Amino acid sequence: MPIRWSWASPRIALIPALAITIVAFFGAAVWTIWISLTRSRRFPDYALNFENLTRQYDRLFGDNAWTTSLQNVLVLAIGSGLAIIFGFILAAMIEREKRAEGFFRTLFLYPLAVSLIVTGLVWRWMFNPDLGVENFLHSLGWTGADFNWLADRRTATYGIIFAMIWHGLGFYMALMLAGLKSINSEIWSAAKLDGVSVWRLYIEIIVPMLKFTFLTCAILLSLGVVKTYDIVLAMTNGGPGTSTWTPAYFVVNAFQSRGNIGYASSAAVMMLLMTALIFLPLVLLTAWQTKRREAQAR
Amino acid sequence: MNASVSATVAAPRTAPTVRRKRRRIRGSTIAVMAFLTICAAFVSLPLYVVVVTSFKTMDQIALGEVFALPTTWTFEPWVKAWSEVCAGMTCEGVSHGFWTSMKILFPSLVLSIGISAVTGYALALWKIRWAGTFLFILFLCAFIPFQIIMIPLVVLISTIGMFGSIWAVAVVHTVLAMPLLTLIFRNFYKDIPPEIINAAIMDSGSFWRIFFEIVLPMSANIMIVVLILMITTVWNDYLIGLTFGGVGTQPMTVILANTVITSFGEVRYNVDMAAALLTAIPPLLVYFALGKFFVRGITAGAIKG
Repeated sequence: MPIRWSWASPRIALIPALAITIVAFFGAAVWTIWISLTRSRRFPDYALNFENLTRQYDRLFGDNAWTTSLQNVLVLAIGSGLAIIFGFILAAMIEREKRAEGFFRTLFLYPLAVSLIVTGLVWRWMFNPDLGVENFLHSLGWTGADFNWLADRRTATYGIIFAMIWHGLGFYMALMLAGLKSINSEIWSAAKLDGVSVWRLYIEIIVPMLKFTFLTCAILLSLGVVKTYDIVLAMTNGGPGTSTWTPAYFVVNAFQSRGNIGYASSAAVMMLLMTALIFLPLVLLTAWQTKRREAQAR
Repeated sequence: MNASVSATVAAPRTAPTVRRKRRRIRGSTIAVMAFLTICAAFVSLPLYVVVVTSFKTMDQIALGEVFALPTTWTFEPWVKAWSEVCAGMTCEGVSHGFWTSMKILFPSLVLSIGISAVTGYALALWKIRWAGTFLFILFLCAFIPFQIIMIPLVVLISTIGMFGSIWAVAVVHTVLAMPLLTLIFRNFYKDIPPEIINAAIMDSGSFWRIFFEIVLPMSANIMIVVLILMITTVWNDYLIGLTFGGVGTQPMTVILANTVITSFGEVRYNVDMAAALLTAIPPLLVYFALGKFFVRGITAGAIKG
């Protein structure tokens, strides 16, 4: 009897997790893909639209707001990618000067504990001309300073990038710091003996050694950018017009404001595709890593 | 030139005995510290502005000196933000949202950590066929965008009749957190020496007894990491609360966004900023109290390879 239970118990314990995976992830994703091929509007209509299966997708790609969303994702990904570069520079500096390491690390990381909604609101106020950051710059003598970025459809996205960098900087710094600490300390003395300059040491030796960390950061950043929603809502609420929409904003808007389930589903499927495209290198990377680790273990 | 630069390369490693070298080290140190201080200012400035403004009177805010300290310190904006400020139709401050967020937080923590810890333990220490495949699928699920499963979950939860309740929000948080937490727990438990478990099985220990008597008491460290990760995720969430919470059961972030974005009439920036700070304080407290674990928590969420 105890033998049978020791076989059954672990399997029973897995049931909730299995159920969640099958129903809430796999089933739900299939449901969304199915619905995106139907004529569903406010309520799900399960009959496939055989005359024109890609009707929702055709409409989606004819929608200017969707095109803007796709462009914004690219701009946001490239722009907030600066957070990785700045994160690396900060980490390198903190690692070299051991002074006040704890202080700076704590300070650079705190925005991460602040929700994206609060981050967005705070930067909305920082960009607000009524509150006077712009006035302050003018009073310093920089009279040409135009800090009212969020009101202009050409610059609103850059304002969001600013806030995203503020929020994410510490995270990438922490990842880079962990990467830097794992580097063999003999590198530094070897570089010194060879008379390698600081710049060359970092660009030609340290950065290539951290390529795995850089790639992880880039993948995490891209996955985050595809999901960008809260910060856009808090800073510009998509505006001016539809100039700061993102795919995630588009899906929620199509579902909640327009009440169109089929349309929202087709946009959500495109988000899944984007995530899969970003994910492919990550899967290959982990496979390569485990292979390497096994080779080392042998 | 080259020699002087390489001297600074070695700076942190060699004992600064020669005076000439020492001076050069200090030069580069000053430059680096100056840069770090400027970056620190960029990071802390928004918080400073918001804190300072939340204590100012509206008259002083109208003057436009954002960086100035309040001439007269007033706590009125904080009181108003807590109990009076209007979000859409209702005017009961952010306090209602605070208690809703608390009520969402606890069931979310218990459910997600309970399920994930047991699953991680079963996958790590018991021989189960397809365990590797299941872990890989969980890894994929951990990164799936919420939007792809949002609408079917709305349909499913309203079919059960839970829609608009605190439990709906808590269950969705559990679903979304389960894959990542399971991976974290599994990675922690797989390092428990198999001898301990084998001995426990010999000793007629059952699956549950081993979990509660041996494995759980060993998991204090990972529990703190996971707790921090979950508290900040659940507290800072907006979309799940907005989509699954009902009119009276919206979390604090939703109330805050409604207060600030959809406010009519004269904007009282000091009250809005006090409300934002009230929303930000709980996770910030967790961060400053448990900083080291916080870093481990977020990086555990990031690198699991």
